[in-house]
Amino acid sequence: MKKLFLLLLFALAAVAVPAQTRKVFPYQYQVTDLPNGLRIVTVPTDYPNLVSFYVVIGAGSRNEIEEKKSGYAHFFEHLMFRGSENYPPGSFDAIMKKAGASSNASTWDDKTIYHETFAKEDLDAVMRLEADRFKHLKFSEEQFKTEAGAVLGEYNKNSASPFFKMYEVMRETAFRNHTYSHTTMGYLEDIKDYPNQYEYAWKFFNRFYRPENATVIVVGDIKGPAVVAMVKKYFGDWKRGDYKAEIPAEKPQDGPRSKHMDWPSATLPIVQVAFRAPAFSETEKDKAALDLLRIIAFGDNSDLYQKLVLQEQKAVFIGADADDHIDPELFTAYAQIKDVKDMDYIKTELLKTFERYTKELVPRKKLDDTRSRLRYGFIQAMNSNESIAGALAQYIALRRSPDTVDKTFALYDSITPEDIRRFAAKYFTENSRTILTLATKQGGAK
Amino acid sequence: MKNSKLKMQNELWRAALAAGLIVSFALSAFAQKSKLPLDKKIPVEKIATVFEPGKSPVVSFRIQFLTGSVDDPAGKEGLAALTAAMLSQGGTKSLSYDQITEEFYPMAAGFGAQTDKEMTTFSGQTHVDNLAKYYAIVRQMLLDPGFREDDFKRVKEDAINFLKVNLRESNDEELGKERLYNIIYAGTAYENHTIGRVSSLEKLTLSDVKDFYAQNYTQGNLVIGLAGGFDAKFSNQMLADFQKLPRGGQKMRKLAAPNLADGMKIDIVKRETRATAVSMGFPIDVNRSNGKDFAALALVASYFGQHRSSNSYLYQRIREKRGLNYGDYAYIEYFPRGMFQFEPDPNLARRMQIFQIWIRPVEPQNANFAFRAALYEFDKLVKNGLDQKTFEETRNFLSKYVNILTQTKDAELGYALDSKFYGIGNYNQFMKENLAKLTLADVNRAIKTYLSSNKMRVVMITKDADGLRDEIVNNKPAKIAYAAPKPKEITDEDKIIETFPIPVKAGDVTITPVDRVFE
Repeated sequence: MKKLFLLLLFALAAVAVPAQTRKVFPYQYQVTDLPNGLRIVTVPTDYPNLVSFYVVIGAGSRNEIEEKKSGYAHFFEHLMFRGSENYPPGSFDAIMKKAGASSNASTWDDKTIYHETFAKEDLDAVMRLEADRFKHLKFSEEQFKTEAGAVLGEYNKNSASPFFKMYEVMRETAFRNHTYSHTTMGYLEDIKDYPNQYEYAWKFFNRFYRPENATVIVVGDIKGPAVVAMVKKYFGDWKRGDYKAEIPAEKPQDGPRSKHMDWPSATLPIVQVAFRAPAFSETEKDKAALDLLRIIAFGDNSDLYQKLVLQEQKAVFIGADADDHIDPELFTAYAQIKDVKDMDYIKTELLKTFERYTKELVPRKKLDDTRSRLRYGFIQAMNSNESIAGALAQYIALRRSPDTVDKTFALYDSITPEDIRRFAAKYFTENSRTILTLATKQGGAK
Repeated sequence: MKNSKLKMQNELWRAALAAGLIVSFALSAFAQKSKLPLDKKIPVEKIATVFEPGKSPVVSFRIQFLTGSVDDPAGKEGLAALTAAMLSQGGTKSLSYDQITEEFYPMAAGFGAQTDKEMTTFSGQTHVDNLAKYYAIVRQMLLDPGFREDDFKRVKEDAINFLKVNLRESNDEELGKERLYNIIYAGTAYENHTIGRVSSLEKLTLSDVKDFYAQNYTQGNLVIGLAGGFDAKFSNQMLADFQKLPRGGQKMRKLAAPNLADGMKIDIVKRETRATAVSMGFPIDVNRSNGKDFAALALVASYFGQHRSSNSYLYQRIREKRGLNYGDYAYIEYFPRGMFQFEPDPNLARRMQIFQIWIRPVEPQNANFAFRAALYEFDKLVKNGLDQKTFEETRNFLSKYVNILTQTKDAELGYALDSKFYGIGNYNQFMKENLAKLTLADVNRAIKTYLSSNKMRVVMITKDADGLRDEIVNNKPAKIAYAAPKPKEITDEDKIIETFPIPVKAGDVTITPVDRVFE
């Protein structure tokens, strides 16, 4: 047994060192800018026969700046499947079916991503179709109102989960001015008002669905120059826009906030502790340091996880989120608790963990292991054209450049234990904290 | 289409997965010879293998035992899944579970278990840099389990919470689907949820787990699957190591088919919830081993309800034309967790399958209409079949789409294990060849042979269960109102749907409180 550990230790040390000098994104790529501002990223791979085609729009629910207009970025993502000038309703589905495609889209705070993976011989047909809907989207008011019902259906299917509602309440509690105060899904009352907002929806489209705000990513069994020529042919006449969204700035939080939610049906209690977190950066260390700390402090291998989940077995799980955002958002730790009587205890344990890392240095080995984990995790996940394109799209939505991946991982390599302690102390302050708890309403369902 | 942030919700499901509660892989009754030359000293014929070597810097493991919840002893439902969870989420003789996670940590590795009805599959991936040390741990987990009481307490509580909290109270769609399986397979070895029943899980002991492991984790039940950058030396070592398991015989349990009474039956699960979820289906006597008929029904399900695709016909009629919900799909194979993923997980192979229609949650006032719309469309499908154009388009789609299902080496390995179970060849080739052989007449004959609403079972999840039952048993017309005027084609059809008969007797519509489900 001891021998095994020695072997493992040796091997781990060997992993950590070369990892710091390796590029994490192993593929050759080409970046081309068109005069209209559209950016093209091509990545030939050795995964045969298939191509993944992604269009990343640099707008999401962050761009929903008007009152009572939450959820439009996501609603628009739905409307993009309703037809265009040269492709009447149904054409999209027919072409995707012919291509044997897996096709979908997703909307988040800062981005909307459209994507298809399909047989390589269908690239021309798919690209021509895609260009038409981005340049010449067309849908009737009746289609618009019908799609509003589908979005309500999406809200409905999500609504069974207490996590869904908690996320909404966390956002509106932690933010007062910035558009991160609402979720990408939007408020139920705004969704119910969609059928009356046909004109507004077009305004949203015309503001943000512009080439200078978009990046086309093509990954797979391709020849880069031929694909670039094809994108030029179909997207080259997409007209540039000039709208600049004025996203309201969020003032520093002026004191701790908290809220309790009663849940009408049976569930295990949940606690969330959030602090205002830094925006994504590939040059400043703040966010990178907290990314590493998130895993060290709240990951499955953390001291807190070992204590609450494995040893005391008082929590079903614990974890933390700190997604990359264009503007400062949240670092949220959470736990689902087995018994409501432990709610205060678990909340205190989460708070103590945040405080601990404002004072203690994380061990150097743990930090190196965490860097190794991030690298191997990223490399192992890139196992198909679709997953390579999907991984790139996340970074391109932030900086429109594939080299953001390697810059970010290089930044991770530069973080020291002292950096982590410094940034924990900077961001995990009582004044910037929001605590949310949820439990079954007393006297409600058993 | 569309993703909202349900991250912690997903975390809850991820935790269940991590606890080895959902995943399962399987085995095969029809062992094939390894593609790799093997050391003659090793009696490889004793252990079945699926090896897919390649240039990838990643190695995928899918280590499968042909045992699952059908082997749960009576009164001990959930034992197979709990045993797998103890192996994948518990310590070994020499390593505690937290030491295992510590070792996996810098490798970004994990090792999960998926238990299903007839198979349990352990899976994980590692970069080739870490292959030796990753395998050293995995080997111990499967061959030298620690079976500690504290691990047992944790994974058992996780299993109970999975049923009581995750399924009953936070995901009406999955609740409806799993309840449907319970009802269709009542009285058979497939009856219970793979995770078990709450009441039986509460009674399980660590000793039960040890007994189950000793009896079912045998060489005869084992299939070792590997893909990616490993060599013959490595796979030979694995084969030698796994001879530590008792030989055992390979046993394929005889399965009694469900014996459903004629006529539709509806179960309304009463729960405090905003919307109404609907799942319906019936057994079909077809699986992949049926070759051409399987391909024919796969084509029908794809045309009628391709998973999470706007190319689904039902989706077009219910969501796209009417905006009633988020999507509507059809299946001929078990596909759990479909709300979280676009492609099915492999290694859920089953000898018995159902035809299933999934109507995603609708506003409660539209539940009666949406249900009738699905019945109306299904009735049309059975009466009219497909036409030549839709047949050819769907065949073309599926022939290409199989490449997407197997686009990663790990998925390729998973499908290869399933092919072994069903006794067919390479899945992509199998589908392409069988699809190519089909004619429209074959497909429409398969519809007539296998699809009928005669034994349809329906599960609905809603708050006002009495009100919905009242609407159904009294055959109240299902009025529908839209936010915008609809074309005549739709309004004319709506008139038919509003009064489309629901062929169910009043006594066959039951109401079940949610806390009785999976109890």
